[in-house]
Amino acid sequence: MSQLLPYLGVSLLLLVVSALWARQLFLTRKTRIELIVPQKREPTSGSTASHGDLGERIFDLVDWDFVSRNVPSEIQQMFLRERTILAISWLRRTRTRVSLLMRAHVAAVGQIADLHLATELKLALNYLVVLTLCNLLIAWIWARGPMRTRKMVGQTLRTVAWLRGAFEQLMARVSAET
Amino acid sequence: MEIATEAFILVRSINAKLYSKYLAFYIYLTVVFLIDLLRLSVLTLRPSVYAPFYWYTEFLHACFGYAVILEIYKNALNKSSGVARIARTFLWGVLTAVILKVTWNAVSGPVWSPGTTSAELERDLRTVQAILLAGIIALLAYYVVATGRNLKGIIFGYSAYIYACVVSLAFGSLPGYGLRPGWRLVQPIAYLAALLIWSYTLWSYSPNPATETESKIERDYKLIAEKTRRALARARSFLKLGGEL
Repeated sequence: MSQLLPYLGVSLLLLVVSALWARQLFLTRKTRIELIVPQKREPTSGSTASHGDLGERIFDLVDWDFVSRNVPSEIQQMFLRERTILAISWLRRTRTRVSLLMRAHVAAVGQIADLHLATELKLALNYLVVLTLCNLLIAWIWARGPMRTRKMVGQTLRTVAWLRGAFEQLMARVSAET
Repeated sequence: MEIATEAFILVRSINAKLYSKYLAFYIYLTVVFLIDLLRLSVLTLRPSVYAPFYWYTEFLHACFGYAVILEIYKNALNKSSGVARIARTFLWGVLTAVILKVTWNAVSGPVWSPGTTSAELERDLRTVQAILLAGIIALLAYYVVATGRNLKGIIFGYSAYIYACVVSLAFGSLPGYGLRPGWRLVQPIAYLAALLIWSYTLWSYSPNPATETESKIERDYKLIAEKTRRALARARSFLKLGGEL
């Protein structure tokens, strides 16, 4: 019976890949809306708490300076708790954004001729690393708070920065060829 | 039933001027149609030689199946030269691995044998096709390559058939399973299902849609890249905050 395993494995692989592709084809319309709608919405947003402002508020040093100087320790703790929740929220948004960036990348690089397998594999691997780090960070911040995660945040940011640089280089090649 | 459906698809391909658009695929279908006609003749006129004739022609059927893979590869990736290059690397890699394995078996085995039975040989041929198909589909999904209805039909129909072939031939080659009538029915039913899918999706010419315009992709890409850059700048401030605490 064990001699069947390679054949069943290959057929299962074909089945899974086909199912994923079918799902992607089914969701194509939805993906397009996700990519295009936010850029149309942003300029019309009249809310004072737009996404950009929210990000600036989360990571602004002025808040902590004020809280650490002027308020009692209970309020400081409350501030840190809220900062934890906001940091997790930001990480989730970063994860979504990196996923969108990766999707835009793979859609764009289909047009370029000198696509390098090694670069593509490296990108895919780093993308997985970023996703894993984001998930680990979320779990870590949830367990230990946002102030003890500097090393891991640094690693995530370095990987994200590398990814962004690689995407930009590839995009420059796309622009040059089209 | 199979012969009638094959004839219907072939006639429709000529009427809808599809034959030349997917030449390799229709050559495969024509060969299978002729094989089926020959089998029917042999079964009617010389039933005693039908069994060996079936297995010889089944081998031919499996070999011509590579034409469908070629058609999928050619049509799906003709506008994505970079992805096509990766696909070529993958296809050659798989073929090299298969050749190396066959050579290794020949050298290490006591007796040279390309396959102990025709069914096992067909099973191996179909398994290689399944690997190639899975690779191409993975690339299509990963790079979001736009495909038309015709190509989707060819891919899904052939994938379903290959999947059924590999599973049924793998189980069929086990001692005791091969004689069970259930396994013999899987392949013809799957092939009929594939033919029905092809009848529907290859009714008229539906080329692969043009990919999103470069400007739209670039616009989306730059928008997301800019947002990520801003988020990183804010995150660096966050690191400083952590350092000060």
